[in-house]
Amino acid sequence: MDYTGYMNEVAKRREPLVIRELFGLQHGAPKDVVFLTAGAPNPETFPIVSGSLKLRDGTTLELTPDKMVDCLQYGPTPGYPPLIEQLKTITETIHTPPRWKDREVLVTTGSQSGLLMALEMMLTPGQTVLVEQPCYTGVLSVVSPYNPKYLPVESDGEGLVPSSLRAALASCSPHNKPKFLYTVPTGSNPSGAVTSEDRRREVYQICRDNDLLILEDDPYFFLHYDGKTPPTSYLSLDEDGRVLRFDSVSKVVSAGLRVGWVTGPRQLVHKMNLHKGSSVISSASMSQVVVSELLRVWGLEGLARHTAQVRQFYQNKRDSMLQAADKYLTGVCEWTVPAGGMFLWLKVLGVRDTWDMVMRRGLEGKVMLVPGHAFMTDPIRPCPYLRASFSATSTPIMHQGMKNLAELIQREKELQRMKPQQG
Amino acid sequence: MNYSKYLSKVAARRKPSGISDMRKYLVNPSPSLVWLGSGMPNPTQFPFREVTVGLNDGEVLHLSQDMLSSGLQYGPTPGYAPLVTQLKAMVERHHSPPRWSESNLLVTVGAQDGVSKAFEMLLDPGDYVVISDPCYSDALCMLASLAPQYLAIENDDEGMVPANLRAALKLAANSEEKRMPKALYLVPNASNPTGTTMGEVRRREIYAIAQEYDLIILEDDPYYFLTYEEEQNIPPSFLSLDIDGRVLRFDSFSKIVSAGLRVAFVTGPAPLLAVMELHLQSSVICGPMFSQVLVSELLREWGEEGFSRHTAKLRIFYKNQRDAMLLAASTHLTGLCEWTVPKGGIFLWLKVVGVKDTGPMIIERGITKNVILIPGKEFVVDSSKPNQFMRAAFSCVTPEQMMKGMENLASLIREEIALQNNQA
Repeated sequence: MDYTGYMNEVAKRREPLVIRELFGLQHGAPKDVVFLTAGAPNPETFPIVSGSLKLRDGTTLELTPDKMVDCLQYGPTPGYPPLIEQLKTITETIHTPPRWKDREVLVTTGSQSGLLMALEMMLTPGQTVLVEQPCYTGVLSVVSPYNPKYLPVESDGEGLVPSSLRAALASCSPHNKPKFLYTVPTGSNPSGAVTSEDRRREVYQICRDNDLLILEDDPYFFLHYDGKTPPTSYLSLDEDGRVLRFDSVSKVVSAGLRVGWVTGPRQLVHKMNLHKGSSVISSASMSQVVVSELLRVWGLEGLARHTAQVRQFYQNKRDSMLQAADKYLTGVCEWTVPAGGMFLWLKVLGVRDTWDMVMRRGLEGKVMLVPGHAFMTDPIRPCPYLRASFSATSTPIMHQGMKNLAELIQREKELQRMKPQQG
Repeated sequence: MNYSKYLSKVAARRKPSGISDMRKYLVNPSPSLVWLGSGMPNPTQFPFREVTVGLNDGEVLHLSQDMLSSGLQYGPTPGYAPLVTQLKAMVERHHSPPRWSESNLLVTVGAQDGVSKAFEMLLDPGDYVVISDPCYSDALCMLASLAPQYLAIENDDEGMVPANLRAALKLAANSEEKRMPKALYLVPNASNPTGTTMGEVRRREIYAIAQEYDLIILEDDPYYFLTYEEEQNIPPSFLSLDIDGRVLRFDSFSKIVSAGLRVAFVTGPAPLLAVMELHLQSSVICGPMFSQVLVSELLREWGEEGFSRHTAKLRIFYKNQRDAMLLAASTHLTGLCEWTVPKGGIFLWLKVVGVKDTGPMIIERGITKNVILIPGKEFVVDSSKPNQFMRAAFSCVTPEQMMKGMENLASLIREEIALQNNQA
């Protein structure tokens, strides 16, 4: 595929920096070549010389003086080389992507920054943008300043709805066709749905028929519930080379380290790498070394063990939340069981829009959730949904929260009855 | 000042998400408030239990559970709160910014990310940007993608020349386009690549011109602590002169503590920083918190005194490197190159008198002579023009390597001159 047509003018103007190419020469160059190139600090001046991280399972990751220099020095823009190798192995093992040799892996400062680079590579003002709805707010915040024409695609308990995607595409102007589809196929934020494999295959075909790239945002990949086998990623179906896949360690290892990675067609990932080079230069070396050491000590087996444990943990949390919801919200709200992720997506019955209920009265009602409107592409239409997170709350607090919510909703309905219908 | 007129079209449309508004409720939450709003993963699932780091002075820093939790979790976009407090104190101490109460500070993932977000905030395609000639190559790279019009102001041995700046701005103002320059970018201390430091009088002149033409000044200052003067003799920063609120100042720990931690910060008018914060939020969400916690702990361990001691040592270290480099240069390059003595930083800017264009000499033939540096054309807007300059970094090489390098370079230059003569 030639990807130039997907790029905006800013992306097309990005060129490799000769300096970075010259830095690259230093690896593997003969020892007697004197490099006077890098504007890098001298490692002798680094004030931290060693480090030690104890893991919960009792093992210790030692950061030797040599490793500490790696941690504290500029690294190559694409990522810490041992980590890139490990991430490639993980990605290849889990997804066996077709056309593996045509793909690159780029470390990103969290998967969000990868998404931003991909979106900013393609967005033009007024462009039609296809997103599943409800949509992750982090993507709306990147896209909205470009004044897009949003084409939201419906999703239900089984994830993205292919017929809605078809309808959306049929409705758009031939002069302003979308370039990509954005989706969170596993444990969607906020709906919690996991798009079934059948639907993924159908969606892939539709994207193929319409020349669309697929931005597969999959930070909850490991958080799929109910004993099902891991979902079939879009990357694993990608015969054409139209998928940019965004992975993250944030939900399973650490959010604060800011380590994610993007896998995709070489031409696109190279462009993103240029953007990365002229923004963060490199992701935090120490974070990458720590993740790399962790993966080295665990191996693929240890990673599988850990992610299985994490999955069970969040599944238990989900179940506790569902119990609390059943107890207090039956007849008050509707919801489908989240098949993955960290969120319960509640539809409030009898309340037209939840924004004011939460933002103005939630504090007093002793419960804060996210009003569904935040995840909608239409800034005006009322939205009766709420997103409740179950990741970091204890069971008693969940019950208290659901109880408070039921009372808040009750008061809101009374308020609605008293006020004349607005907008 | 009305800042909205400086914003690019995209920047003007950035809005806070409803969710971020909610975070203010977390500041002093009532204990009975049930918070189900955040998308944060559960920290009990992060596999790390304890972290210690060893310092070069023998001390060991043990991260408390709280600090470790902060380091491993999403944090606020502006930065790890204790670090932000420390950095604000540092800025106030070093610069006493005149409009401090109307300013703000954001931690960025390296200074370059701050600068790139600032450029994207201010420039639409075709907007003028004032830069010096030569200019930091990465800044040119960022700008190239934005397709601005350049006012590249020729330097002398103090940096941007005010008379040249005035002349260029006057020309732009009188052009038919009626597009006024909005932004002026400079590296005032130990500039990359020239190593020049701008004196106080010159800075005041430049500031006055910026006032006259209503420019935002982007002061990129990663070598602030690497000027070889005593700390008290460093010329006042543009931030310290900023009576209008037109300066965005970019500080960095990359050259003084660690480049790989990616911790830096931008200080400037609150309205401009608010726009940058929105962009940062939608790009990295927050910087690497682990890095920020480490830097914060290091600063706390050191205190003001320890930090001053550390930067004093750095100055001595890099000054010695510079002196070794100058010795190597005068030993081997006298008669072949010209240079001024850098008063700070890590670069030597060499002019090769007898060579028309250092580009092919270095790129095509440098490796055969076992020396690689950066051709001067990487630091100008039009890299197709022949350029006689080269940048040599002396931060990471030993005196022996410097001597060898300069010897190799001399050989390379002589051969290049011979090549030129044969072709003539």
